[in-house]
Amino acid sequence: MDARVINKGQLPELLDRLAKDYALFAPVREEETVTLFKKVAGAKEVALDYTNSDVSPKGCLFPQTEKTFSYIYTGDSLQINKNEDVQNTVIFGARPCDVRSILSLDPVFEGKFVDDYYAARRQNTVIIGLSCNKVLSTCFCNAFNSGPCDGTGSDLLLTDLGDKYYVEVNTDKGKSFVEAYGQYFASQGAEQLAKAKEELAKTLEGQFIRQVDLGGVKEVLDENFELPYWDKVFKKCLGCGICTYVCPTCHCFDIFDFTTGDFTGERFRCWDSCMFPDFTLMAGGHNPRPTKKERVRNRFMHKLKYHLDRYNIAGCVGCGRCIAKCPVNIDITAIIKDLKEVGQNA
Amino acid sequence: MMDIAQQLREQAKKLLEEKKVDLVIGFGEGTELARTTPVFVNNPEDVAVLTWNPFCANNLVKYLTDYSHEPGKVAVVVKGCDSRAVNRLIADNQIKKEKVVVIGVTCPGQLDWQKVAAKISPGVRLKEVTDNGDSFTVKTDAGEYKFDKKDYMLRRCLVCENPNPVVADVLLGKEQPVKNYEERFAEVKALEQLSTEEKSAYWDKQFSRCLRCYACRNVCTVCTCRECVFDQMKPMWVSKRNNLSENTAFHLIRAFHVAGRCVDCGECDRICPVDIPLRKLNQKILKDLGDLFDAPTPGSRPDLVSPLGEFTTGDPEEFM
Repeated sequence: MDARVINKGQLPELLDRLAKDYALFAPVREEETVTLFKKVAGAKEVALDYTNSDVSPKGCLFPQTEKTFSYIYTGDSLQINKNEDVQNTVIFGARPCDVRSILSLDPVFEGKFVDDYYAARRQNTVIIGLSCNKVLSTCFCNAFNSGPCDGTGSDLLLTDLGDKYYVEVNTDKGKSFVEAYGQYFASQGAEQLAKAKEELAKTLEGQFIRQVDLGGVKEVLDENFELPYWDKVFKKCLGCGICTYVCPTCHCFDIFDFTTGDFTGERFRCWDSCMFPDFTLMAGGHNPRPTKKERVRNRFMHKLKYHLDRYNIAGCVGCGRCIAKCPVNIDITAIIKDLKEVGQNA
Repeated sequence: MMDIAQQLREQAKKLLEEKKVDLVIGFGEGTELARTTPVFVNNPEDVAVLTWNPFCANNLVKYLTDYSHEPGKVAVVVKGCDSRAVNRLIADNQIKKEKVVVIGVTCPGQLDWQKVAAKISPGVRLKEVTDNGDSFTVKTDAGEYKFDKKDYMLRRCLVCENPNPVVADVLLGKEQPVKNYEERFAEVKALEQLSTEEKSAYWDKQFSRCLRCYACRNVCTVCTCRECVFDQMKPMWVSKRNNLSENTAFHLIRAFHVAGRCVDCGECDRICPVDIPLRKLNQKILKDLGDLFDAPTPGSRPDLVSPLGEFTTGDPEEFM
């Protein structure tokens, strides 16, 4: 594998150039407490000293609100203008769990049915990952055979090693990128940094507090749709959408048409949440998931079973955001543990 | 602190055994040291799950409306701030007084779990917490930590009006003094000093990152509509499009909707995943209601009418 080195001193210049050449999405700190991924105009806005952003970079490929087309009816013809606003994009500084989450989204939007909007963005996006330097108490990416320095899915993976970034070139896209911006990527010293990265990875591996064993959980869910266990879990759920909106792999959306009454209009799609009562509300008024119990069960079934059934890839990457953000401490790792016990006692 | 947990368990056991209630809603140990989780106990043998410490942040009164149409009585564990919500729910006719047994616990302030978690080595277990007046000593199986209240308490606790519950059928803990850590409306007053443009820029920045997860609404005890205006599709008052305009509409409608009923428990502010200081909106309204109508914080007394829900001839008519 090809590896390079970036001197930290040169990074601002590279970021400024990327912001000119691409739509550059990077971690941004707001009000000192929140980190989210946003389109930036230059290095000044970028904050790379974050552990795990509060909001994942999912929105860079799958925006929370997206216009899909507009239409004009002229009386004898209907003209549809598809929104084809696709820019060449760089997602810079995404953590390994978030990059893996994009791999979980790919088969949803680029599988049997290709979603033009996602696919166009995905194909025109270079993903520059950033290894973690710290494991949070809520992290459990190790349960998914990943880790804080895992480059899977990244075109390039950067690892912060003091005054330099060690750069692993993982794909052809990454290779062309490094060639195009050759002046920022040195070859010298990469070997020593490779060792330092390995050591960092090993140290971080030992820092996981949560040892989550998924073995057997899917089997329990395969066999049991109804479990008295869910009666216990759902009561505390507030039915808000935090878990689904901060989740990097949740991908449900709703579609809306807006007409202005003058024969023109626009169609939008927006993130939706299976935690909301109207998510499964049918036109006739029937709701197959009428209470929080069915909704909570659905979310965990989706994460731990349905996504695997459909795409053979986990629907959770262990980023731990839902654990950190849930107002009532519903903790997916505790649920995994409980489900295993349920399975053993059945 | 721990003996209060013990008393809590005994009280809950007694209430359940004597069939005075069918359910106790309280706090249980969470999955991280500095967290607790709501627990629902209906068997006297299960009361051991109940706990009490300075991480019992949630306002459990929210859950009462889930049981308003269920048979039986419900006991709920409340702090001072939460207790105002009990009065308010009863005044709003959302739950009947005879349906609820309020287990009040006096509260020396709640610690911000994220601030605490950042200081404590992850994975350790909580053993004991002692209240030293201006600080808490948190004993864990990996050592002792001291947290100054003014630096580690939740923002809302820095301006606490009611460390002692305003309503309680059972009261636990020793009476807490009302401390003036910070002037109650200091943050709002600072915002009021800004120019219109500056205020607008401030809120635009806050609202533009709103995820519209609706957690602020769902955690709110006075948000009790069966169908919320933001969920209504026909007509669609506020669209699901996430943009500054719709987000602003969402937050302002919500603030005005709870005006005069917001009990200032600060839960919306505490749980926002992107740290939008929502309480400042509600506190601005509370401050104005205080200035204009001399209205106390909603829920402070059981007999309080919403200041916007009554008319008196003494009301100012500045806008007429």
